[in-house]
Order: sequence, then C-alpha cells, then structure tokens
Amino acid sequence: MAILSVESLRKDYRYVRRRPGLSGLFDRDIRTVKAVTGISFEIAERERVAIIGPNGAGKSTTLKMLSGILEPTDGAAAVLGFVPWKQRRQLAYRIGVVFGQRTQLWTELPARDSFALLRRIYDVDQATFDRRLNQLVERFGLGPILDQPVQRLSLGQRMRCEIVASLLHGPSLLFLDEPTIGLDITAKAAIRDFIREHAGAEGQTVVLTSHDTRDIELVCDRVIVINEGRIVVDQPTDQLRRQFLGHRLVTLRSAAPEIALDLPGVTRRTSEPHLSVFEVDTRATRVDAVVEAALAKGGIEDITIEDPPMEEVVRAIYDANRAR
Amino acid sequence: MPSMMPTARADFAFGGVVAAAVSAFQLGFRRNFANWPVLMGRALFYLVAMAVLTALWDKVSSQRLAGTLASSLPQGGLALYVGVTEWITLSVASIHLRLEDDIRLGMLEPHLLRPKPYLLQKIAEAMGDSAARLLGLGAAALLALALSGRALPPAIAFLYIAILGPIGTALGVLIYAGVGLAAFWVRRVLPPYIIVQKIWFLLGGLFAPISLYPAWFFGIAIVSPFAASIFMPGNMMIAPSLAGFVDALVAQILWLVLLGGLVALIWRAGLRKVLREGV
Amino acid sequence: MIPTYAANIAIAIRTSLMDRTNFVLNSAGMVLNDIFFLILWYMFFAGFRQVGGWGLHDVARLLGIIMLVVAISGVFFGGYRDMAATILRGEIDALLTQPKSILPRLLARESIATAWGDGVMGIWMLITFAGLSWTDTPAVLLTLVCGTTIYVASAIAYASMAFWFTGARSFARDLTDFMLLFSSYPGSIYSGMTKVIAYSLLPAGFIVLTPVAFLRNPSAGTFTIIATSTLLYVSLAAALFHAGLIRYRRGLVPTG
Repeated sequence: MAILSVESLRKDYRYVRRRPGLSGLFDRDIRTVKAVTGISFEIAERERVAIIGPNGAGKSTTLKMLSGILEPTDGAAAVLGFVPWKQRRQLAYRIGVVFGQRTQLWTELPARDSFALLRRIYDVDQATFDRRLNQLVERFGLGPILDQPVQRLSLGQRMRCEIVASLLHGPSLLFLDEPTIGLDITAKAAIRDFIREHAGAEGQTVVLTSHDTRDIELVCDRVIVINEGRIVVDQPTDQLRRQFLGHRLVTLRSAAPEIALDLPGVTRRTSEPHLSVFEVDTRATRVDAVVEAALAKGGIEDITIEDPPMEEVVRAIYDANRAR
Repeated sequence: MPSMMPTARADFAFGGVVAAAVSAFQLGFRRNFANWPVLMGRALFYLVAMAVLTALWDKVSSQRLAGTLASSLPQGGLALYVGVTEWITLSVASIHLRLEDDIRLGMLEPHLLRPKPYLLQKIAEAMGDSAARLLGLGAAALLALALSGRALPPAIAFLYIAILGPIGTALGVLIYAGVGLAAFWVRRVLPPYIIVQKIWFLLGGLFAPISLYPAWFFGIAIVSPFAASIFMPGNMMIAPSLAGFVDALVAQILWLVLLGGLVALIWRAGLRKVLREGV
Repeated sequence: MIPTYAANIAIAIRTSLMDRTNFVLNSAGMVLNDIFFLILWYMFFAGFRQVGGWGLHDVARLLGIIMLVVAISGVFFGGYRDMAATILRGEIDALLTQPKSILPRLLARESIATAWGDGVMGIWMLITFAGLSWTDTPAVLLTLVCGTTIYVASAIAYASMAFWFTGARSFARDLTDFMLLFSSYPGSIYSGMTKVIAYSLLPAGFIVLTPVAFLRNPSAGTFTIIATSTLLYVSLAAALFHAGLIRYRRGLVPTG
C-alpha cells in the first residue's frame, strides 16, 4: 500500500534579480526558476527510496514539499494520508527529518538535553521516550557520548545523534537529506548500517537524498533519479546497480610509466605517465582481483579505489534513457 | 645589481614605512565604502540618536528654568554641539577588536615577519576606516542640518570643526588602540574598553559640554585627552573663535604625540612579553 | 505549549551561561554601562532640575522599566534579537518539520547573557532612585508585562521584514536599537515628528512613557491605553509574521 503518493507535483521559484549598485533599487528583473516540473511517483510502506540527482536538480525542493515545509505551485501529494503543506503539524508527529548540513541539536550542551526537549516538542510520554532512547543508544553505541557537549563530538558521532533525534518520537516515515555528507568512510558505513537495520526492524519507510552512490546502493532498494526538475529514472536499485552502480575507479601510481591490465570488465579511463585510472565493472571482475593483478606487475607505489562521482552516474543514466 | 640596491633598502627606510601606512589607510577607507549598507546603517543610527538628543536639548533650552544651569546654555541650545561630539565618537573605528583578535588568536607572528611596523599599519588602517565614517556621517549631518532649518553658526565654525573633528577621531583611535593592546595582559578587552569608553564620554563631554560641569570636575576633564578629542571640536559650534581653535589644535597635537608615544610604549612592553613568554 | 516553551528556553539559558567568564564579563559590562548613564542623568538633573516636567524620579522609573524590559526579553525571549538573520539562514525549515508553533520556537532559540546585568541594574534603579513604595509593585509588574510584550512584539514585526527583504538582516536589529534609544529618554522631550515615531514605529511611548505616567498617576484611562496598545502590537506582529511565513512556505524568500 502506498503511504506516499505524488501526482504532477510542480514548484516554480520566482525571484527578483537586482542589478548591482544603486540602479538595482529601481531596475528589477523578475525571473522564474522551474525547480520541479511535474513529478509523479508512489512509495509503499517499508520501502527505502533514494532520490538522487545533480545539484539544483530539485531533490531538496521535493523533500521540502513532502515534509510540509514548502507549498507546491501545483499538483497533489498525500503523505501518510495527509496533504503535507496543509496538515503540516499532524504530519510532523509521524515523520522524522534529518538535514545533513544543519543541526537540530544544541551544540554547547550534551545531546541528552536536546533529546529531552524533543520529547516535549513531540509530546512523547516519559516511559516511551526512555524506552526508545535506551534502544537507540544501545543500537547506535551512543552510551559514552550522550553526556558530552555535542560540539566536542566528531562529525560522525554528531550525525548519529542527529538521526537519533529524528527517531525519538517513533516516526513511521523518515526523510534524510544528505545524511552522510562530510563524513569519513567508517562513519558513513556506521550511519548506513544503522539506517538499514533500524528502518528494517521498525518497519520504517525511508526517503533519502544523497551525493554518494554508496548510500544508495547500501541503504535503498529503489532509486528515483531527478534531473532538471523531472524524473529521469525510477527503478529498483538492483536493476540500476547492474547497469550503472557496480563500477569502481582504480587509480594506480607506478614506477613504470605505464601499467597494462588485461582483465574482463576493466577499461582504461585516462592515463598520464606513471598514473593510470581504470574503470572496473565489479560484476565481471572484483576490485581485489584488479588490485592483485596490478601488484603482481610490480613497482606499484600507490592505489586508490573510488566510486564514480554521482554527477557521472546520473549523466550516464540520463544519457542511456535519452537514447532509449 | 648595484642599481637595484637603493630601492630595496628604501623599503626599510622612513619613506617605505609611510608608503605602507598610506596604503593601509586607503585599504581601511575603501573597505567602508565597499560595505556601504553598514555605513548607511551607521549614518541612520547617528541621525536617530541626534533626533532624540536634539529633542532633549531643545526642550531644556526652550524652558530655561530660572536658577538652573539653563541660563548658561548657548542661544541655540546644544543640538549642534552634540551633533559634533556624536559625529566624532561614532566615527572611531573599532581598532581594539582587531588588535584583540590578532593578539589573542596568535595572528601576530605572520605580521611580525613583515618588514613594516605592525602597529603603525593597524593604526593607519583604522584611521582610514574612521576617515570614511567621518565623510559618510558628516554628509548625513550636513543634510539633516540643512533640512532642519536650524540657525547656523558662522561658516568659519565649520572650517574649524573640519580640522578639529578628524583629529579628535584620531585621538579616539589611539585611545582604543591602547585598550586593544591590553589583550597582551587580559583575557578579554571588553571590561577595559567599557571603562575607558565611559570615561572618555564623561570627561570628553559627549552629551553636554564639560563647561557645564562643576568647576572642580571641569578642571579635571579639560586637561584630559578626552576633552581634546570631543569637547574642544564640539565647542566650536557654541563659541567659535580663532583663539579657541588654535588652543584646541595645540592641545590636540600635544595629545596626539603623547598618546602615540604611550601606545608605542604599551606595544613594546607587550611585544617583549610575547617574545619572552609566548602568547 | 507553556511547558514546551519553558523546556526550550531553559536549554537556551543554560547554553548562555555555559561560558562563565563571558557571562560575568558581559553582565558586569552592562552594569558599568548602566551606572554610567545613571551618573549622567544624575548630573543632568543636578544642573537642570527637570525637563518638561520629568525629574530624576521619573527618569529612574523609565530607566528601571526599560532595563527590566530588556532583561526579561533577553533572558526569556532572546531569540528576538537575531530573528531576521535566523529566518534568512533558512533555520525555519527544521522547525517546520516539527509539530509546534514556529514563533515561540524562534523566540526560545537563544537567551542573552548580558540581559542579567540589565535586570540587576533595573531592580536596583527602581528600588533606590525611583521613589516608589511597595504598594506600587502590582502597577510595576503590569507595566513590565505590557512593556516587554510590546518590545518583543515590535522586534518580531521588524524581524518579519526578512520575509520580504534580505536587507532586513541588520536593519531589523537597527530598528530594535532605535526603539531602545527612544525608550531611554524622558517622554516630555518628544514633539511633532519624533512624538509620532515614538507612538508608532518605535513604540517607546507604549513601552515606557505611558507606563511611567501610569506609575505616577494610575488611572483607568492610562491602563486602557497600555492594554489596548499591547493587544494591537501583538496582533500586528503575529499578522506580519504569519503573512511572512506564508511567503516563506511558498518559496518566495531567498534563504541560505
């Protein structure tokens, strides 16, 4: 059953562009930006969906409309049976929202204090609150950091606290806007594991936006790609993974001017003397096999393994769909 | 190359120091106009403060209560006097905050590596900043004065003030520079700043000429740099005279030299402390 | 609603007191500042006796009330001061995803440490110099409640300009400062244009001037003026803020 449905949702921003200097006070230029141009989709209960796309594609605007912050220009949406922008408060009790780039914690104080305030904001009774907090603290390993001022925590610890803050009122739908932005690899992994396991155990539906292809692969079972305000692709992650997501970039720095690798699914992207970049299709050859083969050649000084940047993935998806 | 030598050496000589200070002055000056909304806000604050203070002094001089100091008020009241004193004090740049930042955040080292004297550069920059404010606020004041239809003092008074006002502001910059250098010894310069500022306003006669104070208090105030910085220029609006102007100018120049020397001494003492103990 | 607000502001107050040194320095700074103005007024009335019928008692009452108004506003509704900047930074977004009203959340966002210094001075001023007796306490409390309400309401109205112009970031704060400036001088000095401003845009007239008149001579008429103006400014602020919030939720306010 769909708990979130969107029908021809559209958002135009109008803004005034002033010319620099004093003449700008009189000489105005009103522009319209079509941020979201009529999107439709449905999300079923317990689904974990990623909304991805390049900067300015309309992801955040969509998320803001679905969480009740922003009114659309046109179109309809129902989230948990509410029209978000009309029944914002009723909806607020049922959703949890995390903005990766903004904190909802009082950074000078320990997270425990912010949690206690959120209990009142969401009218959660003390017993339920204590039970949930204990559960979350245990699951997330927050025990030792709960009583330290948030500003002294690492970014990863802080983000875990942010996510706990958004779960204390037991929402059935979670909106996560860039939840792993700026984190290191281990912190990212911890956040992903937690979201996946917690949402699975509690039967929560998750909608997340991200720049990191791994967030999508490891957390979500469906991907909606938005570009220039419209949906380009809407398909299961498995399907997308086969086509676009299972790729890694392996960069080799070598004593020899050039390294040649002859393995299935491994193609040379760029190379300059002593530096070769290979794209690896992990369905054909695993990354460790590539590294092994490279090391066997001898004289390797440095190896980096990366995911292709989101912009590239989206472009590839976009191109593939246009060609179709 | 021998021909290059004189230029290279000139950088360390007096001319080079002055050129660098002039350049810092220009930087401070331009920064204010680049950030014009802030300057406009300051000008607006000045005008609103003047609206209130003018209302106060106009009321006092219109009622002229017998047996009070009102009999010794000048004909046109004190509105123009306060206009000048506020103009000077609102134009003084917050050099104490910049010095505090540099000293406390350990940003002094990169400056000390440079061949030009740090303190002089900072003071020149603050003077440039203040000069821009003097111009902006001055224009606002003249406009408001023209629109108010108030009786004007003789034109020569404006000339006197155009000279004494900026020097008064320069004295203010030196006073705040001294406060900022306190950061070598205290954790925050806020307490000394508030104390010095209030003494400056009181002994300088910001809201009323010190000539209205009791004689013993006037005696103390008039021999302070604070009076030279604001009372003396303001007084040109009440009693403009060549003799008064010359006296004021002499007093201001004297204080400029004395305060400049004092600030330099504090700086040296602070620097010795830093070199000895670290920040 | 009130328990939530109390919990929220309690956190803000604790935050503002975290840095003890800063708190002591700032509060002490405010006390020094206030003492300075007291000395000036003392000298002023020693020299001029009164201005337009206002004497030292009246000015002490005025200063005592405005200091306490600033103190109560700062400690318990301190978010008023930077509200325009908060709006323009887009910080309302997170609050909109939560079920409680936005305006109280914004007011309880911050508590201002320096306000405690003003509070101490205000009480001292009212007790020592204002020539009041203990029987005046109810009237003083009434003026404080209304004065604080109008002060905060006006600040909200100024901050709401941020929903229309980005320039409101600093302008709203300037207007709050001007309101304070107007509220720090005897009411008898205003006439013509300044009087109009003092009873409209910068409502010193309702925050302190009418209340001081009420303390001098409590009457039903003055009380009605105070109560009506309080309601009026609160309605105006609420209307402006909500009109602005509607614009915000339509995406008409550039934030970031």
